[in-house]
Amino acid sequence: MRRHLILAAPLLAAALLAGHAVAADAPATPPKSTAPFDPRSFDGTWDRYPLPTDAQRDPTTLAVPRPADVPPPPLKPQYRPEWEAKRKKIQEANARGEPIANEYTACMPDGMPTMMQAMFPMEVVTNKRQMTIIQEAYNQVRRIYFNEKLPAAEDAEPGFWGHSAGHWEGDTLVVDTVGIKDYVLFRDVPHSANMRINERMKMLDANHFENTVTVTDPEYLEKPWTWKWIYQRRPNYKMYEYVCEQNHEFADPTTGAQRMKITPPPSKK
Amino acid sequence: MKTAIHTLARGLGLALVVLAASTAQAHHSFAMFDNDHQIKLSGTVADFKWQNPHVYIWLNAPNEKGEMKTWMIECANPGILNRVGWKFNMIKPNDKLTVIVAPLRTGEPGALLKQMKLADGTKMENGGPAGPPNIPID
Repeated sequence: MRRHLILAAPLLAAALLAGHAVAADAPATPPKSTAPFDPRSFDGTWDRYPLPTDAQRDPTTLAVPRPADVPPPPLKPQYRPEWEAKRKKIQEANARGEPIANEYTACMPDGMPTMMQAMFPMEVVTNKRQMTIIQEAYNQVRRIYFNEKLPAAEDAEPGFWGHSAGHWEGDTLVVDTVGIKDYVLFRDVPHSANMRINERMKMLDANHFENTVTVTDPEYLEKPWTWKWIYQRRPNYKMYEYVCEQNHEFADPTTGAQRMKITPPPSKK
Repeated sequence: MKTAIHTLARGLGLALVVLAASTAQAHHSFAMFDNDHQIKLSGTVADFKWQNPHVYIWLNAPNEKGEMKTWMIECANPGILNRVGWKFNMIKPNDKLTVIVAPLRTGEPGALLKQMKLADGTKMENGGPAGPPNIPID
């Protein structure tokens, strides 16, 4: 067993690296689109970039440089200890093999901005009025309305995806989002009703677009929190439906740990 | 040399824990399953549910002590599995199936699928971030 473990460790490490934050099921060499390049159209189906296979490649051989990891949130000092303690608790629970149940255990969708990390493929459909982004995981949909004024923070009805308005600056689509529920969190970072998510989306070439995300929150953040996500085209992909209909994982009511509910075969009930 | 390999393995083990923790940000943690002690099960399918957030196989198979159990085996979701070549109707009750799984740490008869071999010999993996098997299926 020990030998198996030793031999398997590098493979597992590579596999986990490969699977890190990206669906590990993307094709090794995705077919390229033959559509003419339109710098003002994000329409189509997309995977988060880099693909797992690209993540292990020599970076100098990549057509598009890999984006840097999302940096730690610039929380104000008074909020940092609680956030760090929470993250440490999650890591320690995982290390013990007793992971803490999270929002996914309760079949909750990502919301914004987490949805844009594109856990699964993502589809963009645009008309004159709006750009609609569909994330396969949890059937998530957000709508970005063009040339519309956002509501003031106190008038923005809170939701998972909030209210988004977009306008073009050259060939960059600039999108602002407000109105995210206070318990819809990215990386467990708390936020206020005054959080604003700014996105700058730009086609890099016919098959890649980047999204520079900047979160501001005068109550919780001491400065803007910025990172970049890149997406790679997945041509001709047909999105699957995703209804989180029955999760056999549940939160232990005593410990809060994620557990699996063992049931008899459904047909035998 | 042996010590060096062990040190390396321990280091990688630690790296795995850290990576597993950060991977959990993407979706959910697989830490409730014992990745280091994967087992092979051969048996008969009792049921198969193609649904989100996870596909499940119920498999009647003996444990390592030879006791018959009904195992509940967690797979990825229909989208991931379709993309790695599965089909919603490829497994049916009474099918013979061999699997490599990471069992629950609690000792209950539940597990995470790593690899499976259908009655016709076709081998399939679980796709997604669940990771590959670390013991042979044949």
